Amino acid sequence: MSASLAPECSEAKERYDTCFINWYSEKYLRGQTKPSKECEELFEIYKTCLNKALKEKGIYDMIEEARKTGPEIRATSKR
Amino acid sequence: MVKFFETNFSYDYQWPAVTLAYFLRYPNPYSTHVVSSDTLSSFVNPETGNLHITRLHLKRGKLPASVARFIPKIKESYILERSVIDARNQRMCTESRNLDWEGVLSVVENQEYVPAADPARTDVKTIVKFESRLGHRKREEEKRGFFQGWGTSGVRASLEVVGRSRMRDGLMKSREGMKLVLEQLRERGFVGVVKEQRQGGWERWKKVWRGDHGMEEAR
Repeated sequence: MSASLAPECSEAKERYDTCFINWYSEKYLRGQTKPSKECEELFEIYKTCLNKALKEKGIYDMIEEARKTGPEIRATSKR
Repeated sequence: MVKFFETNFSYDYQWPAVTLAYFLRYPNPYSTHVVSSDTLSSFVNPETGNLHITRLHLKRGKLPASVARFIPKIKESYILERSVIDARNQRMCTESRNLDWEGVLSVVENQEYVPAADPARTDVKTIVKFESRLGHRKREEEKRGFFQGWGTSGVRASLEVVGRSRMRDGLMKSREGMKLVLEQLRERGFVGVVKEQRQGGWERWKKVWRGDHGMEEAR
């Protein structure tokens, strides 16, 4: 799995990534779309670490702005 | 926003596997310029069941000399990647855009992944839009200094030409990376992929694959 931008968050990221990929392949792709509580908890830990690092690098605001202003992606199915 | 590139491609794998590979695609031997990948958010829309994921990738810039003379200070680039997965209808849409070049050179890549007519395969449509808005933005004031003395339209033309050839090259590499991850998934499963990535054994795989990755471009 890929490294985190912030080395201090790599461990939290790896735990979350593993959880997510397991949930995605075992549940979500099989039609069980309910989010995993376990993954959400792991994500909170990872996110806290990552946001701190993004702020320290001075790129947090730039990213938040881009997330807000970018166009929405549609995923309506017309097949 | 100018659309300058559109291409169709098919992976020889089923849609679920391709979407999984999309999230596992870094690191691979074709993505050595990707320094890091982080998830910024992930949520399921309770009404639609669609999964929305936002990730941030840091890529080391290998700028060609013709561009570097215009933008000498850019060495790395943040890419914001947003994807929506509709598992019920088997459709995944992704958007990737570079952040820090915004206002100078903005490249937006949209992809749509759907099962092919042959359900053992997955079709990917890629549209790349490109924008170079030199001097069009207030927050780009400081960057404008670089471009004074160059005709803005000339700079833009240079950037567009370089952007286009780099885009083709980049798309080909990202496909090869995806194919390698897909192959690993098929042979060894998710655990095998992660193990390989952790041990950095990709060079070996690259050798195995070399000479056996003919392009299957639809057009």
